Amino acid sequence: MMLRLLAVMVAALALAGPAAAASCAHPRTSLAYLEGQVMCPTCHTTLDQSDSAAARQIEAYISTRIAQCATAHQIESELVANYGPAILAAPPHKGFDLLAWWLPIVGVLAGAVVLAVGVWRWSRRREPEEPEPEGSGLDEETERKLDDLLARFD
Amino acid sequence: MTGRLKLTAQLLTLACVAGLLALLVWKLAHQQHAPHVGAVAPAFTLSRLDGPGKLSLASFRGRPVVLNFWASWCEPCKGEAPVLERDWTRYRGHGVVFLGVDYHDLAPDARRFVSAHALTFPMLQDGSGQVTGSYGIHQVPETYVLNRQGRIVAHLAGPITAPGFRSEFRTALAKAAAA
Repeated sequence: MMLRLLAVMVAALALAGPAAAASCAHPRTSLAYLEGQVMCPTCHTTLDQSDSAAARQIEAYISTRIAQCATAHQIESELVANYGPAILAAPPHKGFDLLAWWLPIVGVLAGAVVLAVGVWRWSRRREPEEPEPEGSGLDEETERKLDDLLARFD
Repeated sequence: MTGRLKLTAQLLTLACVAGLLALLVWKLAHQQHAPHVGAVAPAFTLSRLDGPGKLSLASFRGRPVVLNFWASWCEPCKGEAPVLERDWTRYRGHGVVFLGVDYHDLAPDARRFVSAHALTFPMLQDGSGQVTGSYGIHQVPETYVLNRQGRIVAHLAGPITAPGFRSEFRTALAKAAAA
């Protein structure tokens, strides 16, 4: 009986260990996601595009930190502290680096405005000339007076 | 009005082209190349990997310096490490300084590497690769030998254990110590 109880306790402990390790207080990030966000420092491509030793080392570090329930932001911060901001594929959303985010948008908007103005001007140039209005162009009253005057000569 | 608009557009286009050209020239001018033998080695100050504080190359002026760039993920560095340590213990008595610069590496892994190979010469960390870039290093290991005036006596692009490099390294050390 004691042996059976001991076996149950051992089995419970064996199952509880991995279960505790697998649960995090927040949704776990993934290696695949961070591989696209982090650069390989020696080959200047993202980790998912590189098979260099330096990239593999960073991937191993990320995997270990994910297993320890570190968030993507935490892992990125740790990598920036070690390698500097150039380790991130995307520039930070602050300071001078904001330009990298806004300049393309400004460029696209400026391009759209230039295109719109161009199209508008082109379409105006191609519009057919308005036909001359039919009739003499005189108002009804004047027309009537003129008709009366002419009638006197008939 | 149309003429003014056209002129503005042309000026804007010209400004864009000039800006792109300026960027290209700036990039070409700031491209980092390996400093040539005889030149003064680029100055730097880096954090120590093996302890707190920083070390600057200038603080070793007046002594020959062996500057070794390495990384824990670099396979040839593993074979080179014991040879470097042996040379360090052999030449340190003659006033030669060995400095290890860890390149694009994770600090915990680098410390494990230093410990595993029982390296005792000062180790510096260049995680961002800024200093390493100023030496034109694109792969490790690479070694520079500097004389007492801080000028480059030799640049060995590869492990000092490589055929030919061993004798070149020793000759450079002798030259650096004599200058």
